[in-house]
Amino acid sequence: MNRWKRLAPVTAIVASAAMVLAGCGGSGDDEKAADNSKLTVWMMGEGGDAQNKFLDSVEAEFKKKHPETDVVVQYIPWLEAPKKFQAALAGGEGPDVTELGNTETQGWAAQEALADLSGKFNGWAEGKDILPDLVKNAQLDGKQYGVPWYAGVRSIFYRTDWFAEAGVKPPTNWDELVAAAKAVQAKKPGTYGIALPGNSELPFYSFLWSAGAEIATKQGDTWKSGYNTPEAQRAVKFWTDLVTVNKVAPPAAAGWNEIDARTQFSTGKAAMAFAGCWQGAAMKKDNPDIEKVWATFPIPGPDGKPAPAFAGGSDIALWKDSKRQDLAWDYMTVLLSKQKDKEFASSLGFFPVYKDLVSGGDYASDKVMSGCATAMQNTKLTPLTPKWVEVSRTKTVTQAMNSSVIKGQKTVEKATADAATEMESILNAK
Amino acid sequence: MTTLTEATGTSAARETPARRRRRVDRLPYLLLLPCLAVIAVLLLWPLGQVVMMSFYKLDSVRQLRGDREWPWVGLANYAQILGDPFFRTVLRNTVLFAVANVALTMILGTLVGLLLNRLGRKMATFVASCVMLAWATPALTGTIVWKWIFDDTSGLVTWLFNKLPDGLSTTLFGRSDWTGYGWFNDPLLFFAILTLVVVWHSFPFIAVSVLAGLKSVPSELQEAARVDGAGPWRVFWSVTFPMLRPVFGILVVLSTIWDFKVFTQQFVLAGGTQDRPTFMLSIYSYAEAFSPPPKYGLGSAIAVILTLILLVVTGVYVRMVLRQEDES
Repeated sequence: MNRWKRLAPVTAIVASAAMVLAGCGGSGDDEKAADNSKLTVWMMGEGGDAQNKFLDSVEAEFKKKHPETDVVVQYIPWLEAPKKFQAALAGGEGPDVTELGNTETQGWAAQEALADLSGKFNGWAEGKDILPDLVKNAQLDGKQYGVPWYAGVRSIFYRTDWFAEAGVKPPTNWDELVAAAKAVQAKKPGTYGIALPGNSELPFYSFLWSAGAEIATKQGDTWKSGYNTPEAQRAVKFWTDLVTVNKVAPPAAAGWNEIDARTQFSTGKAAMAFAGCWQGAAMKKDNPDIEKVWATFPIPGPDGKPAPAFAGGSDIALWKDSKRQDLAWDYMTVLLSKQKDKEFASSLGFFPVYKDLVSGGDYASDKVMSGCATAMQNTKLTPLTPKWVEVSRTKTVTQAMNSSVIKGQKTVEKATADAATEMESILNAK
Repeated sequence: MTTLTEATGTSAARETPARRRRRVDRLPYLLLLPCLAVIAVLLLWPLGQVVMMSFYKLDSVRQLRGDREWPWVGLANYAQILGDPFFRTVLRNTVLFAVANVALTMILGTLVGLLLNRLGRKMATFVASCVMLAWATPALTGTIVWKWIFDDTSGLVTWLFNKLPDGLSTTLFGRSDWTGYGWFNDPLLFFAILTLVVVWHSFPFIAVSVLAGLKSVPSELQEAARVDGAGPWRVFWSVTFPMLRPVFGILVVLSTIWDFKVFTQQFVLAGGTQDRPTFMLSIYSYAEAFSPPPKYGLGSAIAVILTLILLVVTGVYVRMVLRQEDES
């Protein structure tokens, strides 16, 4: 008896611990069913005054139809989003509506995180005007899992003052790009001609595509990588030669991602950098004065035509576990409406996703947006398969290929052949 | 607690010595129970789950929630890992890194411990506080600072190498301009920097533990050896080391465990899970399990393999230490 008394506190601790654990799993499904007082929306990034003001206006519009519902917006940092999604999916407590990067929509659709919007989207009149490439990018197996919200393409930011001092013009082909980088670097010792993001893939694809190569194409049921072609090798050689032969970017560039590289530009250490037009705000945060001396031009192709650009941007999706699917869709149609899309995109340096808005805007006269507006006319996508995210994010096949050449570990031929093999084995895995 | 001791005391008074001993012997186990309960909930249960998950094909969060079936695959996850040539690279990295780091940590820690033992009170306090600061720095923040020190454009190390006379720098390293040099490009150099960071973080603990051990060794023994004409080297190996063998034993085991599962420092220095040539087991497991698309089964299997390796290494070592103690 005595012993059991002594054990009592222990038993109590174990029991309460067990209850805590059980509490995590059991969410009262029934209570929630009729609760329309709150709609949770996840937005990516840090937000800011402009975005808050915009979202308040969206909420006001939405409340005209649903006065009883409060919209709660939470900001999720971009890099934390995958973990946050995973946790939400595992725990069963997610948002109702979420923003997500348009390269990730297919992956999360394959994880059954997102609701199938095909019926709702097809019945929504305004949606017909959204750029078809972007719409296709949010599909998996023919079903729509997200709606494009805004679009962005990368272009090259350059220092107008340094270009003037060195007497060079914005380049329009690959040779001019190297010549301009060399000229500025010679004029400004201690700086880099071009801040090459050697550990990023999206800017590189512009070079790959403009050389005439594809990342991968589907032939029947099998994916075939385009890296094992002379065109792709030409692109890899040009990209890596910027460091190894032309020396307009440093060896450390092998490890730089896009943020590392653009910081070199914004802090006055590089004459050119690849960046999306929406990243101007972040660069101004690094160095407010950079705004006075920057402009953009589209990434050039080898022969004088602008290179195709990856159509980046964000989608808005409906969380599959949401108990308020129709309410959430009503919110989405307000947020994504043509009028709101135009307001939002232009305040952040993005492009709206509607065909007529992109071509009709006055972007050509804006010194930052003009380079991107040109690139926006010729966009391409990465391979449309949920397995792509493994090539791109987990195995980082393209980044590893380029880095290994820059670091001198592989020849261009060996690196492209290895990357093609690895990519095909991932994309064709059962 | 007081009632507990009283109860044992009063009943013990009435009992024979033998029965009393048996009674008292049970007490430590009872006292361990709460601790065991916490460990069971926070450690043993998840460990069991990881082992179980390693036998299933788990590639969707919906499976973890129980919405989908768990297809049993037996040892397929293990076969896939062990059959992958990349696993050999990872294993080689892990083992070589652990061996180098345990050796360096132990040597540096012991030397600093010996130094602290010889220093006067004020100086010893000063040095010990400095050393403990390194240990008190959280792994994450400490590593971020190291990453800045090795920054390719404005890092301290880059600046120092730029200050070298050009001629000397060119003769030694073949370059004089270090701005933009990729300190983390070459896997060997990456591991050298990682070793520096990990040893910096872990030697203070060894130093302080060795110092505590040294304080318990009567200084007369060392003096006697010195009077008999033994040099410092001989004194250490013939007097100090044998006396401190149990301390060294436990320190080596702890260091081995820590250095096999280094994660934070590598994750920060490598900037995530992109640099696959420098993967070690813990980051490999993490990358497989959690990078999209998730492969929880495969990641669990790698974690189990890492755990088994650690159990074998420490098991062998603990046996070795115990046997040596029996002999002496």
